[in-house]
Amino acid sequence: MNEQGQTVEARPGKGAGLWPDAVRRLCKRKLAMVCLGVVIVYFLLAGFVYLAEMFDWRVGPTRWGEEVGQSYAPPSSRNLLGTDIFGQSVLRKTLYGARISITVALFASLISIAIGVPLGAIAGYFRGFADEVIVWIYSTLSSVPYILLILAFAVVLRDKTVLGYRLTGIAAAYLAIGLTSWVGICRLIRGEVIKHKDREYILAAVSYGCSRRRIILRHLMPNVFHIVIIDFSLRFVAFVHAEVILSFLGIGEPNRPSWGAMINDARMELSRGVWWQMAAATAAVFLFCLALNIFGDALRDSLYPRLRIQ
Amino acid sequence: MDLIANNKRDVKKSDGNGTLLSVRNLSAHFFTEEGIVRAVQDVGFSIRRGRTLALVGESGCGKTATALSIMRLVPAPQGKIISGQIVFEERSLLDLNEKEMREIRGNRIAMIFQEPMSSLNPVYAVGDQIAEAIKVHQKKGRKEAWADVVEMLRAVGIADPRRRVREYPHQMSSGMCQRVMIAMAVSCEPVLLIADEPTTALDVTTQGKILDLLDELQRQNGMSVLLITHDLGVVAQRADDVAVMYASRIVETAGSRRLFAEPLHPYTQGLWESLPRLGFKGRRLRTIPGAVPEPLRFPAGCKFHPRCPKGRSDERCRSVEPELREVEAGRRVACWHARGYEESQSVKCKV
Amino acid sequence: MHDGLLQVEGLKTYFPIRKGLLRRTVGYIKAVDGVSFTIKAGQTLGLVGESGCGKTTLARSIVRLVSVTEGRVVFDGRDVLSAGGDELRRLRGEIGLVFQDSYGSLNPRMTVGDIVGEPLKVWGEIGRSEVAERVGALLSKVGLSRHCINRYPHEFSGGQRQRVGVARALALGPKLVICDEPVSSLDVSIQAQILNLLKDLQEEFGLTFLFIAHDLAVVEFFCDVVAVMFMGRIVEQSPAKELYRNPLHPYTRTLISAVPRAEPGVQRPRKLFRTEPLEGSKGVFRRDAQGVLNCLSGCAFYPECPERQEKCLRRMPELDEKEYRRGHYVACWKS
Repeated sequence: MNEQGQTVEARPGKGAGLWPDAVRRLCKRKLAMVCLGVVIVYFLLAGFVYLAEMFDWRVGPTRWGEEVGQSYAPPSSRNLLGTDIFGQSVLRKTLYGARISITVALFASLISIAIGVPLGAIAGYFRGFADEVIVWIYSTLSSVPYILLILAFAVVLRDKTVLGYRLTGIAAAYLAIGLTSWVGICRLIRGEVIKHKDREYILAAVSYGCSRRRIILRHLMPNVFHIVIIDFSLRFVAFVHAEVILSFLGIGEPNRPSWGAMINDARMELSRGVWWQMAAATAAVFLFCLALNIFGDALRDSLYPRLRIQ
Repeated sequence: MDLIANNKRDVKKSDGNGTLLSVRNLSAHFFTEEGIVRAVQDVGFSIRRGRTLALVGESGCGKTATALSIMRLVPAPQGKIISGQIVFEERSLLDLNEKEMREIRGNRIAMIFQEPMSSLNPVYAVGDQIAEAIKVHQKKGRKEAWADVVEMLRAVGIADPRRRVREYPHQMSSGMCQRVMIAMAVSCEPVLLIADEPTTALDVTTQGKILDLLDELQRQNGMSVLLITHDLGVVAQRADDVAVMYASRIVETAGSRRLFAEPLHPYTQGLWESLPRLGFKGRRLRTIPGAVPEPLRFPAGCKFHPRCPKGRSDERCRSVEPELREVEAGRRVACWHARGYEESQSVKCKV
Repeated sequence: MHDGLLQVEGLKTYFPIRKGLLRRTVGYIKAVDGVSFTIKAGQTLGLVGESGCGKTTLARSIVRLVSVTEGRVVFDGRDVLSAGGDELRRLRGEIGLVFQDSYGSLNPRMTVGDIVGEPLKVWGEIGRSEVAERVGALLSKVGLSRHCINRYPHEFSGGQRQRVGVARALALGPKLVICDEPVSSLDVSIQAQILNLLKDLQEEFGLTFLFIAHDLAVVEFFCDVVAVMFMGRIVEQSPAKELYRNPLHPYTRTLISAVPRAEPGVQRPRKLFRTEPLEGSKGVFRRDAQGVLNCLSGCAFYPECPERQEKCLRRMPELDEKEYRRGHYVACWKS
């Protein structure tokens, strides 16, 4: 019956799906790889600090509010980035600060994805009443000034007990950010789902009796999820900024150093000519966000190659 | 039906045998991440004044790339014309600079494309788009140009042109959009029209009307047409001469009647036989086994040999690529097994 | 008209046109406007027509991929249009669909093996290894090697993708296969391969086909019975060979003459359509957004019919009214 027998020659190597292709393309871009390296270093640092605190490794001062040395010493060979008001090394504070910023941004991202993606998928696929309700919710939410909203949530959540756990300042911060920032990803997912749901391959799935749940999870999500990844990498930056602002405004953990708190302190210090704490924190944030932005752009470019011979 | 009141037809320089466009040894490559795509290799053909040449081939054979090369619209830097000669009205197109080329595009050589809806700019009214070509090349003012536009629309068979002129592409059907494209293309009375699959996206009845229109315009202006298509039926009905392309090369050229009466290249023969035709009595269609090779993975030797009943097991077909040779007057073919191939001369030596 | 595998009676699918702030329904697009036919088991019915005639909407209406306005569809003795959720899904599993766009109808993020095996997994009745086995067998049946299982659709050519589509349509062993322009977007040399493949599969499995196309020659080759659609209605229906030998409806004749014949020198009749303006027909016709005339009463083909008469304006001709010989139906006042 097969007059031509095997019509496809087995090409060497498999895995020509979206991700392997994108990864391959991404690896060729040196700058993106460098940036990825920087981001990984930050994450590792944050993880290290977290473990250090959990297992109580004594790698540094445990009381950040204690006077340990000369106050406001400028950068020197002993304290590479100078000291703060308590004489704590700014360098140490900057490194430790990574933990808070990254933790908050990470959890906030996860929360906003956990809320935004399902809602966007439901709104986009089912349309009708569900769509109208969800769109109404997020339109209203996004009309309130962002900072006020986060602040309101954070203040309310701080020191509350949820399911037996007392919410720390950090938890309040990332909950607040996550619960208010899902709108962007929700919109994106909704748009993509609307675009894809009338495509023929979805129609084909319906035609052989696929249930709606399976269609959304197994057929639509894989086609739409790359948006989440790209959005994640770019939104992370916004969440880091949000954490900085929250710390600035006094939300967050007072007992641990964070970049936002450092910048907050700098308000007073600058008038005294003490610039090193501000500079260190700002530089740390800047470098991280820059690396993440460049990597996110490169990722987007790799996932949407422009010239593809069909 | 007259097209434009004031004819700007110059005295045409006449080439000895009336050749308008002559393409020789044209090669164009595309540089991609995965390698070099040799989209057009050693392509040569000529078009005479007032005649229609059909460039036939399946998807990926390089016919659109060839047309773009003639218009010098090959997207750079991914694409580049590597070598060859394109002589149009005794000028070498590849030697012109961009400014001179712009004078020719739309004015002496015009092109229409496959997807009429997406070839028109959706945010401009149809009249504006046609008028633009007129304004650029004939240096007319807006009012004059629009008057011409209305006439053009009437000439291409659009009813109620005064109303249509203000409409946008999405308000029109595909057939009408294609007429608009044709109006744009012939607005400056070009001597050569390149039509890249002009009717593939249209219904068969609309296709008939559009092709009739092109015939009519050709008769009036003495325009030559390079008709690119994969539809052999259209070729049989409308083309004077035919060039068959396969995998970036020309494999056969002939007058249309002779080609259908006796195709010499196995690919042309296979295409012809695998067409379902009205009145066909068989139970199964004859097919060409396998598929068109990918540009990055062309086979060695004759590119058709893996699918060819004669060439599959022939040592020479597998290793040496046959060049295009003139086997009789007006017929060229590139196949070791074609009648008269062994004795004939390579086309390259001829002028 | 009974004891067929698929019976369609008076099927109408209208799409409402909503305008204005309150989204009021101002009119309808009558995509399918009263279609009836029967396909017997093992038969192939071809549906021919140009773009916009409603053939794709008809195919989708039969499996309720669009919502049907009126009519009856009976498949294998069961009513499709009134079937509930689970029953509808079960019915759908027994009808295979092959789509036109071989690229768009395959999920780009799933491997070929996943795509073909998905129907089997949805119905969940067999284990993983058996799914893999069946997928391999299906791929072989359509002429693809088993190595294709791990590859993605974009790695294949149009013809190969269409084979995957056919394999998927056959995965659940359907009795009826609906093909919506399966070869229209393929190269000429591949069309023949796919058509032969479909014919072979039909013989091997005793399949029934509803074959939709716009290419008359393809339909004549593949189908036993051909129905010609125009503006949402069937205007002529007859056994294939008879239709091409003796077309009765003016639209059918126009279609046949418009097909470019791959024989040089064959003269085509010049005047295929009437394009003169219509007199005395106010209120009967209305131009829609595309400028196409819509007929409000009488025959839909009137504006372009080379053989129109006064009587054609007044009433819409029905299909069954004129029956010429056995099995040849026409909806035209002339015949």
